[in-house]
Amino acid sequence: MSGPLHTPLCDKLGIEYPIVAFTHCKDVAVAVINAGGFAVLGEAMHAPDHIAADIKWIRDRVAGKPFGIDLVLPSSVPEERTVEQLLAGIPQEHRDFEQKIKQKYDVPDPKEAPNLHIWGGLDQKRALAQVEVVFDERVPVFASGLGSPAFLLKRAHQLGIQVWGLVGKPRQARKQIAAGTDVIIAQGYDAAGHTGNIGTFSIVPQVVDAARGTGVPVIAAGGVTTGRHLAAALALGADGVWTGSLWLASRESDLNLPLKERLLEAETDDTVYSDCISGYTMRTTRAPWHDEWLRPDAPEVLKPPLQMLLSANYIQGSLDYQRKDLMTEAAGQGIHYVTEMKPARQILSDLVDGALDVFDRFASA
Amino acid sequence: MRGRRAECDGGKGIEGTHFAGRQEFAGTLTGHFRDFGDYPWRWYLMTDLTHKPAGCAHDGVWCASESLVFEDG
Repeated sequence: MSGPLHTPLCDKLGIEYPIVAFTHCKDVAVAVINAGGFAVLGEAMHAPDHIAADIKWIRDRVAGKPFGIDLVLPSSVPEERTVEQLLAGIPQEHRDFEQKIKQKYDVPDPKEAPNLHIWGGLDQKRALAQVEVVFDERVPVFASGLGSPAFLLKRAHQLGIQVWGLVGKPRQARKQIAAGTDVIIAQGYDAAGHTGNIGTFSIVPQVVDAARGTGVPVIAAGGVTTGRHLAAALALGADGVWTGSLWLASRESDLNLPLKERLLEAETDDTVYSDCISGYTMRTTRAPWHDEWLRPDAPEVLKPPLQMLLSANYIQGSLDYQRKDLMTEAAGQGIHYVTEMKPARQILSDLVDGALDVFDRFASA
Repeated sequence: MRGRRAECDGGKGIEGTHFAGRQEFAGTLTGHFRDFGDYPWRWYLMTDLTHKPAGCAHDGVWCASESLVFEDG
């Protein structure tokens, strides 16, 4: 198949469109895969057994088409402490401030205490146990959402598994390319969640330049929600796009309905890049929690993991009781264009058509 | 590695969420290291931190070897 949307990434994966859906929802992943795109399922929070079950579930529904699993490999780890020690480290001023927010907005207590022990990125041994499942199951693509996957390249390649690395700086890309990483995802500041501080329009061409001549495909990430973004990414030299926020409000997404509604209503400047949720800067939709912590008289945000311990009840309470007015979700700046709850297949088709319209416009000019 | 100055493009998963957070450090490697797994996945201890996230209370951090960028090249 030829055409402006057929890139080396399509050949490398055997897919029709150079569009990667990053999602935490298996239904979204399967829909995108079966519609001609590629999907990477985020599994950072899940135990090895859960990951294995998800892999099988996907495999049963995609008739041999390829897919990927994303894990968060840690890249730095401070000295570890128990949750009790961490909780004891939260100053009283901050506990009082959290209670003030709770009372002001009538935030309900979560139905169960948030489970703050289940994550994969903090502990190297836990991360490796998750990686082993991906290897045992011979998942076609392993994507590292943060730390360099260079140390496991040899083993992965022996098993026939591609390894992708998500980077936030050009120098990270250069190192991973030199190490032999198969695909680089260049993630810009527009993205949801963790990002570097370089805009998508700036980081993508730099990473493309770093990859030139190596045969390593580059995927653009951060703010991609329309066909115009896809066309622009390809014009910058990328071989495809990595999309996340685009799928959050899809029909197949398992986010609860009020949260989907919140996302459909959100504008670009409804996303805020702040550390008040977790102590790490991340881009999420704005909520009363942000409004209070961004006030000049608010206490100083605690560093991880203490701030997350402080916000966990607010977040879980808002979800348990479907309080749309309180909810927050990681979303990129492209959320402006996410305005309808469409099936994933339609979202993909709209992305393709939008990009082809751009190329047609240039061809006829 | 002992005494080498480096920057660390660090970070890890955010507790209780699907997401990750990036953090940057600069400091001096002590020479101590730990290996995880059969690959091995090597980690170095960095102290005398001259750059770390605002409010970070730790005086040392373990850094994955591939996250390090050395000042001496």
